[in-house]
Amino acid sequence: MQGGTILSFTTVRHPPTGFPDAPIRLGLVALDSGAQVIGQLLGVNPMIGDRVAPRMRLTRTTEQGLRIYEVAYESLVRVAVQDTFVFEGYILALTGPSGVGKSTVSKILSKALSDYVTPVPILTTREAKQGDDGEYRYIAHEEFITLQDRGLLAAATHIPSNTEDRLYGYRAEDITNIWKQGRIPVVVTEMHLLQGLSRTFGRRAILSCGLLPPGSSRRAMLSQLLHRLRARGRDTEESIADRVKNAGADLDFFTQRKELFDHLLVNDNLENVIDALKGHVLKTQEERA
Amino acid sequence: MNGEIFLVGTGQTKFGEWWQKSLRDLIEESLSAAIADAKISPLSIDAIVIGNMLGETLSEQAQLGALTSAMLPHRPPAIRVEAACASGSVAVHTACALLESRRAETVLVIGAEKMTDADPAHVAAALMGAGDSELDSPSGLTFPGIFGLVAARYMHEYGLTREDLSLVSARHHENAASNPFAQFRNAVTPEAVSESSLIADPLRLLDCSPITDGAAAMILSRTHRSPIRLKASQIATDTLSLTERPSMTSFASTRDAFSRACEEAEITKDDLAHLELHDCFSIAAIINLEDMGFADAGAGIRLYRDRSADLSINQSGGLKGCGHPVGATGVKQICDIAKQLKASKQRYGAAHNFGGAGATCCVHILEQTI
Repeated sequence: MQGGTILSFTTVRHPPTGFPDAPIRLGLVALDSGAQVIGQLLGVNPMIGDRVAPRMRLTRTTEQGLRIYEVAYESLVRVAVQDTFVFEGYILALTGPSGVGKSTVSKILSKALSDYVTPVPILTTREAKQGDDGEYRYIAHEEFITLQDRGLLAAATHIPSNTEDRLYGYRAEDITNIWKQGRIPVVVTEMHLLQGLSRTFGRRAILSCGLLPPGSSRRAMLSQLLHRLRARGRDTEESIADRVKNAGADLDFFTQRKELFDHLLVNDNLENVIDALKGHVLKTQEERA
Repeated sequence: MNGEIFLVGTGQTKFGEWWQKSLRDLIEESLSAAIADAKISPLSIDAIVIGNMLGETLSEQAQLGALTSAMLPHRPPAIRVEAACASGSVAVHTACALLESRRAETVLVIGAEKMTDADPAHVAAALMGAGDSELDSPSGLTFPGIFGLVAARYMHEYGLTREDLSLVSARHHENAASNPFAQFRNAVTPEAVSESSLIADPLRLLDCSPITDGAAAMILSRTHRSPIRLKASQIATDTLSLTERPSMTSFASTRDAFSRACEEAEITKDDLAHLELHDCFSIAAIINLEDMGFADAGAGIRLYRDRSADLSINQSGGLKGCGHPVGATGVKQICDIAKQLKASKQRYGAAHNFGGAGATCCVHILEQTI
């Protein structure tokens, strides 16, 4: 029996006759040999890309009393994290759609809490742009891939688009170095980066704050983002259209993966958001102490 | 096409739940409608091809060829073909082969399915016959499950959102409202799709085509002429199981069948004015549009966000709106394209039908002489 990686998964709400009358979660798993199989997934919150290990499971009993066992797949990552994870510190993660003000909040917060927090440089393969403010570290595409292959990145994401094809990521070393100084690393993330970080360091190691644009409806939030992106003047109209499209998925992420967030904040007033974040950070600091 | 094949008549039953009609009744009703529409003598029909998937399992009826032949006074030779949800279009393809080889001059093609008499669990198990009984079914996978896997992967790769996906079924319902033969003629909002009950996440009830009774028939001929001709008929296949494919978010059979059909008809996709495509599940419509080249990979939803002025997509309501009597759908799609060409006075239209998760794909292109 081999382990593998989850390519996709679904929960069949109405399993076929003969199976227990309860939803079953099935994954399409790429085994290490390269073959693909469909099997039941064990574990609480599987994600596409998770490593899995095989286990025998009783799947059903036929009318004649024959007990049928099948290979099921258990998500490895989180099991390992719970057993061996040594808690070094925590990361403050700010997640939200493009244009919601993540970078601004991160910058002001880093100043306001300069005794505690340090922003983590973002690795990117894109060109430097006017309006970038020292938050990026620009590297070549090949170098990024090498770092990724060598397992030196804590999280990485690929954002394909019509206007630019770019990779973003965080180096694990950058984060642990900040911890060694006794400080709190601050990261600006989107869905893949946040999932990657929680996989590398463990969900418990992240104080995860989602930033939402103001607006009573999804449409209002998206149009608010559109205005901000245009006002920022950093992107072309085509790239803005791309970003707004991705923003839709980012907004859905808040509801689809609630468990990845500790706090959701509406960024309607910068001061309030900073105050709230300061509160959360200081409270967490106290709890740790 | 080897020689000219004319589509001289079409007919169909209303798709829906027909508890008072048997499989035999549905076949007879569609056949009579097609003969009446063609205005030819039934005696000039010299072969019958019927597409059906579940006759044995749900109606305890095999031998559909002979069964149908007995409905005509002269009992012409008849065969039944099966290719899961592509049974109908494969029946048309078989008829083309008979005509091109000059085995027959005029062929009656029927697609028929009777599904609503059995309980849903039985129907679901029967439909799973289109999957791989060794690689897919043992795990408890169902067809919604297969497309759930596809949709989850697609959303992961391209960031398609739930709200976007809901536009597909909403549009198909909107189109079905003006089709008197459709099962569901009610409008459905995208929000209602997003809020319908989960079937195999991320797919919800209103992402799935329904269980339906219905039949459709057409008469193809070399001798009886008509303004509508079949210009291309192509089949392509792929593995039954997703586990044996290099990609889950693209259907190789759609790409192959469609590109070969365009080549056979000597047109490009841009010449098409009407398209009926296989939307057994909402995600399939998006991926099929990409594989036919109407959108880049990951961008198929654009055709549902914006309306194209040059191409109608599933104007009939598609499988979601019309209902999906599996063996009948492929024939019905071609009948619909013929109707749409007549109404719009356009030249080309295509019908795309597949079986399973694209294990069989059959594409037909129709041309109207203007």
